[in-house]
Amino acid sequence: MRNNKELLIGLKPIYNTITFEIKKQRKKFYAFLALIIIISVAIVVITGFIRPDTLVGFFFIALAFIIFLLDIAACLFFSAIICSEFDKKTGFIIFPKINKYKLILGKYIGNLILVIILITSYYIIIGITGLFYYGGETSIRVFSSYLIALLYLSTLSSFVTFFSSFLKSVNGTIVITFVLLLFGFMIIDQLVGLIFAEKFEPLYSLAFLGNLIVNILVFPDLRYIKVPFDMADPTGPSMVQWITPSIGVGITMMLLFTVLYLVLAALLFKRRQL
Amino acid sequence: MTETIIKLENLTKKFGDFTAVNNINLEVHRGEIIGLVGPNGAGKTTTIKMIAKILRPNSGRILLRTNQGKLEDLQNVSSTVTQMGFLIDIPEFYKMTAYQLLKYFAKLQNYPKDKINERIDWFLAFFKLTEWKHENVKNFSKGMKQKVGLIQAIIHDPEIIILDEPQTGLDPLARVDIRNGIKALQSAGKTIFVASHMLYEISEICDKIAMINRGSIIGFDTVENLASALKTSEIIFEVLESITPHELEPLLSRLIERLNPYLDKELDPSVSKIPIKYYPEEKELKIFYDGNHKSKGEILKILIKEFESDFTVISYTQEKTSQLERVYTQMVKDDDVNRKSKINGEVSKNEK
Repeated sequence: MRNNKELLIGLKPIYNTITFEIKKQRKKFYAFLALIIIISVAIVVITGFIRPDTLVGFFFIALAFIIFLLDIAACLFFSAIICSEFDKKTGFIIFPKINKYKLILGKYIGNLILVIILITSYYIIIGITGLFYYGGETSIRVFSSYLIALLYLSTLSSFVTFFSSFLKSVNGTIVITFVLLLFGFMIIDQLVGLIFAEKFEPLYSLAFLGNLIVNILVFPDLRYIKVPFDMADPTGPSMVQWITPSIGVGITMMLLFTVLYLVLAALLFKRRQL
Repeated sequence: MTETIIKLENLTKKFGDFTAVNNINLEVHRGEIIGLVGPNGAGKTTTIKMIAKILRPNSGRILLRTNQGKLEDLQNVSSTVTQMGFLIDIPEFYKMTAYQLLKYFAKLQNYPKDKINERIDWFLAFFKLTEWKHENVKNFSKGMKQKVGLIQAIIHDPEIIILDEPQTGLDPLARVDIRNGIKALQSAGKTIFVASHMLYEISEICDKIAMINRGSIIGFDTVENLASALKTSEIIFEVLESITPHELEPLLSRLIERLNPYLDKELDPSVSKIPIKYYPEEKELKIFYDGNHKSKGEILKILIKEFESDFTVISYTQEKTSQLERVYTQMVKDDDVNRKSKINGEVSKNEK
């Protein structure tokens, strides 16, 4: 009984930080929600013209922007999570009041809740449109895609939080993580495909893991393709381009990275001095 | 003497080759107000940051008396959150309203939920911020932010309050508000540790002063004891009648001759070239004496009895601030000279 009470008291600062963080980020949340609504409306209009044959086909097009949205959301909501306490010196006020592990957990969960709401809104708008276009047709794959998107979001969030734990400025963190997510991993993946071909699957790459969100809609499909250097000679020398991980490995890697990056971020945050 | 509540033991903090805090030992007793005085970069804020667990010491430790009554190493104590309140540096806040911030801080430090609003309202009224309660702190002036900074340090009613330059950059009115706030805490029996450049503020509120220079404590005592250790002090006598310029010179000569045994023989010329000064506008005589309590009494007796025909003493004061300034300047100078001679000694040893 006493242990339960102590546990509850121990969790209270995390809960208080979550609610405070949600209030603190509400302006950013509303701005991003507006962006999501605009993008989804644009997609609704575009797919209205193209009108694919199936609901899955519709989602395949509608989710074209999802990775981009997830990347932006993670960068904007998580880049300040640790480094702003140092950069803006708010740490002088907050650090003596709460254990650093509880602080990072509270902030992480608070922001994660917000971005989950945002991404859920996107799926809801697209989902309603799909129902409208294709009647009562349902697909477990769409729901799986949504769950993987949430998992991928938490991986991205941990990744950005990790960078925030050692970089100095908020803007620097946004730029570096965004460039890495959008271009960095892609370039490295190309090089790896060039050097190791199909022998090495780029499971280190968050961009590669994120492809599962869309590709789960059409699974099992090709996991990689061979791109010839000379298009006129398809049988000539080629490089391998990985498209998607397998479902099991992809989910495992995302879970692993979520935990790993978050633990590393927490440890670095604990060591970092203001 | 009341029990020790915080104890710094051989506390050292280095940043690379630079030693910011060097082997500091200090004891703070329950209910005391301790001032930490020192030039820029002396190690005041670094010391406070280590007490706040924002910085880790390289060696030494900080002991805190816990709620169980034991002195325990701060690194192993989790109750610091509720036992201490900190205002470090110029406070920077999240972009939220004063009310939202203070509510969050009070909750974090386990202040009873049902009393939080009442407490916030009381403090905001005390510091004249009530009408700003629901305004974003980013729109606050520096003084207002500093007041919110002080409130956040004490919102959870901590036993120990640690303040770093609480009055820096404030206008006189805001400074008075902050000083009144600290005095109110003092009368509530709180233990307070204040680092400041403002010698007047420090001398007004502190029971003891710790002087810090280049990371080391060079003096720790009451202002009076620090002053007497330097064997120099000053006292101001207010006189009833103005002393005319043609009377002044012979009078000063007589005064210096008569009071000679009690005057400061090694008066620092940067403080004053003569041991007795007259300020016509204030009708005040300032006498630099040897700091001895007996001398002070003798001087008073002589002025009243033997100079009755020249002037009438109506009051005397001993300004803590100017005393502290002199003690501070002297101690820092002495410390710097000692260091230089030590370094020179080491250099010549090495050359040999």
